[in-house]
Amino acid sequence: MCICILYLNVLSRISGSQATEVKVSEVEFNPNFVSRMIPKLEWSALVQAADGLGHLQDLPTELIADYEANEDFLRKVHRVLLEVEVLEGCLQCPESGREFPITRGVPNMLLNEEEA
Amino acid sequence: MEPCLENVKAIRRSKEEKKLLRKQIKASHTLLKHEGISTVSKPTKSLVVANGGLGNGVSREQLQVVLGEGGDVETLIMHPHKPYALVTYRTEVSAQRGHVLLNGRQLQCGDQVVTLYLSYVDTVDSESGVCAVLPPGLVLVEEFVSLEEEALLLDAIDWKSHDEEVTVQKALKHRRVKHYGYEFRYDNNNVDKDKPLPGGLPQACVFVLERCVRDRHVKVMPDQLTVNQYQAGQGIPPHVDTHSAFEEPILSLSLGAKTVMDFRHPDGRSVAVVLPGRSLLVMKGESRYLWTHGITPRKFDVVPACDPESPVAVTSDFSNHSNLTLSRRGTRTSLTFRNVRRTPCDCAHPSACDSQQAPPSPPSLPRSQTDACRLEAEYVHSVYEEIAGHFSSTRHSPWPRVCHFLSSLEPGSIVADVGCGNGKYLGVNPEVFAMGCDRSCALVQICSERGFQAFVSDALSVPLRSDICDACISIAVIHHLSTQERRQAAVEELVRLLRPGGRALIYVWALEQEYNKQRSKYLKETREQAPPGNSTDDHNQETKVNSTDDHNQETRVKLSVHTNRTAFNSQDLLVPWHLKDGGIKKGGRVSKMTKDPPIDTKSPVLAPCPVFHRFYHVFQQGELEELCARITGVMVQCSYHDQGNWCVILEKTRDR
Repeated sequence: MCICILYLNVLSRISGSQATEVKVSEVEFNPNFVSRMIPKLEWSALVQAADGLGHLQDLPTELIADYEANEDFLRKVHRVLLEVEVLEGCLQCPESGREFPITRGVPNMLLNEEEA
Repeated sequence: MEPCLENVKAIRRSKEEKKLLRKQIKASHTLLKHEGISTVSKPTKSLVVANGGLGNGVSREQLQVVLGEGGDVETLIMHPHKPYALVTYRTEVSAQRGHVLLNGRQLQCGDQVVTLYLSYVDTVDSESGVCAVLPPGLVLVEEFVSLEEEALLLDAIDWKSHDEEVTVQKALKHRRVKHYGYEFRYDNNNVDKDKPLPGGLPQACVFVLERCVRDRHVKVMPDQLTVNQYQAGQGIPPHVDTHSAFEEPILSLSLGAKTVMDFRHPDGRSVAVVLPGRSLLVMKGESRYLWTHGITPRKFDVVPACDPESPVAVTSDFSNHSNLTLSRRGTRTSLTFRNVRRTPCDCAHPSACDSQQAPPSPPSLPRSQTDACRLEAEYVHSVYEEIAGHFSSTRHSPWPRVCHFLSSLEPGSIVADVGCGNGKYLGVNPEVFAMGCDRSCALVQICSERGFQAFVSDALSVPLRSDICDACISIAVIHHLSTQERRQAAVEELVRLLRPGGRALIYVWALEQEYNKQRSKYLKETREQAPPGNSTDDHNQETKVNSTDDHNQETRVKLSVHTNRTAFNSQDLLVPWHLKDGGIKKGGRVSKMTKDPPIDTKSPVLAPCPVFHRFYHVFQQGELEELCARITGVMVQCSYHDQGNWCVILEKTRDR
């Protein structure tokens, strides 16, 4: 499950201790694609997630202006969005603390009957 | 001067050379026709060795030696049942030398002679398959007992004993069997729980049981033992040990020669597991309750070749065909320890469970959320989990109009596929960011393996932010919800995910399979294509037609079982899914499993071809639009009929 899904989620907390297996792979860089994704992201959640996984590196903590033209920046976003994947770990709801496991790259977001 | 057979200049060939050439060409034609291997005339580093396969009884070791005469062999690929091998030499020169020396060479394999014919092929990639994984719940513990302990145990089993009180020895058609503790009866495939055999389990086995408890393979000491002795060429048909007879785990200690045990999942997946002598097999969970296990009666097994550096072979890496060889079987004795079950089985695999097989009453249309959830759990979710593999293999062609919807989206759009199944639509438009979710873990796993972004969730509660999606699709999903309220809630959830101006495409199965005088593909496919046993199961089912007006119902409305590939006669029904037969394939034909329990198995597979029932509410014309009209803030952009489905495109209006 690539990192950008994680913060599209309502639940956005993930910490390094909870991610037991993270994979970084090479994905073809498409600057237009990344540019279009950025306005849809909750930037602070992305930063927090990346940091929690130990993959923040030099990603700016604030969204910069004029990012469309800034290839350097777009590449940093690309890496974190599409190349960092959590294979084993869990997502935690910041409100309830309820944990959702990620197994073989797949998060299981099912709630029990009582919780729904 | 060595003759080069590919030389097109006319040279004098001897009669034998001409004959050899004819046979070589014939062999290469056969390979092309039956195996899809095309040979080339120009020398390369790779050759196909016709008749030099594991399927012909030629072992890797033998072939390797012979091929080595040409030079250094880089890779040698031998598929388990094929009549050829694929060899890649380190250099082209070696390949040419190999060709000259070995084309027409005769090999002695056991009591037959095979003649090798070599032809060049385009250089072969050695296969990198995914390592076969053991069925869930299965654990193999090697060297569980020592050589001395093995000898003691084998000695303790007295096949000649006439002491009827202690053992019940049955002379079964193939393998030899003895029972201790409780007798396993082959007439009803169950244990006589009220008549324990005197003497209990043999004293000699106690240390084995204590070791199993100590090593936490089992919590409670087993109270039943079945000893099976297999000579080479003997086996046991595939079966699941009767759920109601025994608990889990089932422990099986292998003594003597190693063998290969085949595990099969109802969806057709199979895993071959090498059981070395002195190993303990622990079967729990799925491997005990759902997968069948059996030993094919054979004299040879195909096993992974041992790495000389590590004497113990990898137990299940059959996917790597550059590392297989033959192993001749010897006499094997298995000691299977089990705990007799005292209460009905309540496992998670009702399809294979004799305790749970017949639900007390046929299902009916739910009248509450709880009922609805329960019905869907049994007749949708657990079914898809069981059939996922087979289901996925039948869902490979994306529907054109859905593709059109996806392809017309702006690059960089965020798209959610709610109920994505095997991810069929997730890769259709690479310019958008597509995420899939489905209720079935097994199906989502397939999506993940294909490299798609997917997670497991319920369609009524999708863990994505509101207003985040530029588009959503929900193809053949909502018809699985069993009440009108839940179906509407599912559409509302899609609308919640959409940004203002975003669009959703929804497909549901139509009651009217014929539209504009066109019969849908579902009806068009002929009955001959349906698997055997299709309609016979449905004879005794309820055929009461369901009324769509639930308010006036006093009694619960029973759900009728639909006959596949016919018109729907009711809106709420159970649609059968016939899982591919999991029987042993012989020569490409699937062997039929009869309904009579086989005499010499531990317990039968309960259904010859497992049938699963899925709940559907098929939509009437106009019903989907009506549903959408009840939701505020949406506009139906268009609606149409496509291949037996009613379809709408919804737009979330900008001012809500």
